[in-house]
Amino acid sequence: MADQGAADPGNNNNNKPEASEGTIIKVTVKTPKDKEEIAIAEDASVTQFKEEISRRFKAKQDQLVLIFAGKILKDGDSLSQHGIKDGLTVHLVIKTAQNTSASSSTSTQAGNTSASSPDTNPSSTAGSTGTTAPPTQTPNILTGFGDLAGLAGLGMGSANFMELQQQMQRQLMSNPEMLSQIMENPLVQNMMSNPDLMRQMIMANPQMQQLMERNPEISHMLNNPELMRQTMELARNPAMMQEMMRNQDRALSNLESIPGGYNALRRMYTDIQEPMFSAAREQFGSNPFSALGGTSESGAQPSRTENREPLPNPWGPPNSSNPSESGGATTGSTSTSGGTTPSVSNPLGINPGSLGNGMFNSPGMQSLLQQISENPQLMQNMLSAPYMRSMMQSLAQNPELASQNPASSPSSAGTNTAQQQLMQQMLQMFAGGGGGGGSTQTPEVRFQSQLDQLSAMGFINREANLQALIATGGDINAAIERLLGSQPS
Amino acid sequence: FIVGVKVPRNFRLLEELEEGQKGEGDGTVSWGLEDDEDMTLTRWTGMIIGPARTNYENRIYSLKVECGSRYPEAAPTVRFVTKINMNGINNSNGTVDSRSIPILAKWQNSYSIKIVLQELRRLMMSKENMKLPQPPEGQTYST
Repeated sequence: MADQGAADPGNNNNNKPEASEGTIIKVTVKTPKDKEEIAIAEDASVTQFKEEISRRFKAKQDQLVLIFAGKILKDGDSLSQHGIKDGLTVHLVIKTAQNTSASSSTSTQAGNTSASSPDTNPSSTAGSTGTTAPPTQTPNILTGFGDLAGLAGLGMGSANFMELQQQMQRQLMSNPEMLSQIMENPLVQNMMSNPDLMRQMIMANPQMQQLMERNPEISHMLNNPELMRQTMELARNPAMMQEMMRNQDRALSNLESIPGGYNALRRMYTDIQEPMFSAAREQFGSNPFSALGGTSESGAQPSRTENREPLPNPWGPPNSSNPSESGGATTGSTSTSGGTTPSVSNPLGINPGSLGNGMFNSPGMQSLLQQISENPQLMQNMLSAPYMRSMMQSLAQNPELASQNPASSPSSAGTNTAQQQLMQQMLQMFAGGGGGGGSTQTPEVRFQSQLDQLSAMGFINREANLQALIATGGDINAAIERLLGSQPS
Repeated sequence: FIVGVKVPRNFRLLEELEEGQKGEGDGTVSWGLEDDEDMTLTRWTGMIIGPARTNYENRIYSLKVECGSRYPEAAPTVRFVTKINMNGINNSNGTVDSRSIPILAKWQNSYSIKIVLQELRRLMMSKENMKLPQPPEGQTYST
């Protein structure tokens, strides 16, 4: 009877369900992903068991960690010692190379066996490199959110948005991880994937509008959905963002070397940067997106008056955002890349973290909502924030987006159901208030200039024009395509 | 079982013991008696496998769970043996603060050791915990 051997891996001979011979038992080995039944001798040692397992799971023996009934099975032990019998389940963890640091001491051993594992936790390092960009951007997240977020901050009923914003900023700064979390939240991504919404928000800023008038290039940028999309992609991906910044720095240094280029840069700076800077400062973050700038031609085309100089960080007290020493400008933007330093690829310094999400998910938000419900005054204040209003309008116009927002927030599932409802009520209220109430921006009015252009081009059906404009959020080109599409010739 | 019936402590714990040995559940937590001879079924060891995509990933956390005489009417006390950085876990000795972990704070007699372990694992995945920097792997609290 010596033929049943645990030494016969995967052997079909052993199809005796019970260890009638007293030797072979079937033990289920479960990993988080997988499950295998392994036949092994009852009196086998853990080492032998691991051999079998390493064959079956195609992993090295020393990568295997076996757990049974809350204890780690050490190689020197035997299965019976732990009470492993037929039909029972043992958990398996296959350690991937990066995280190994012989965690031999998990059960009971006091003291640090592997005191300093050089890789410590690469996943966390990886995580932190990923977040190195974001943490430096945290100072701006808050401003990114604008008034809304500002309130969310720790606004203990303070009606002063600035204060609130600062508080929130502080809070966020103490948790640099928050940004990356925020970014990962699908809500942010949602908002960011809606170029129209973004554009509206940006355009809503009166300074922006001024700026746009002065520099038609900028409005061109904004109107180009491609560009917007690209920038948003960018914003979404901090790593990519850094890449872009680097690229554009290189481009800028090229620019400089072109005769006369330096001057052009300088000019651009004074033309564009300053007003934006002061505009942004004034509003202090009321425009969270400070700018979705286009990037694309971050190339050397000095002739274009497009803003290619890295713009200073509009919110940037902490940042020595002064890329204007155009000499060092190129490095300036990278060094201040933390705060969404507006730069060519990101003229207005979009801050990924600042986009939307925190609004709905930050713990600050929760306290905000709480306070709001307790303090109608606060609510009033919120309402009166001009930025808020335009934001709500945009939301109102995209009722889809609006309802998506609270709904898609995953964390809403958790403790935030009340918050969710509150948000929805708020949205509706604002939508109603924004749409009907004091706002002067009905779609018609907003699209007035576009409508004019369209009719000048020969699209006389004002109704249809308006529809198209609404659908495309004011993008003339897209609206035209829409119109052409629906009216074949 | 029937709601409202109070199952004697030992019956419950024996059930949990069996469940732990059969490896019920998704394989991400494991629990068993610390000492097989422990007739009072008081001291248990638990294990949590750190969830993926968090800073706890791929780590195995060992815990000690103590089911007092009033279990399951009263919540067990839980303590991490493996060092961990997580909200609600005492940084110097690994004890789990019963007031910060929701199911311990609002314990019900239908909860079990498995549920506690699973809940702790779930909390590892929460936004506030998942990216907390962790001590080097394999360190334990010295008690």
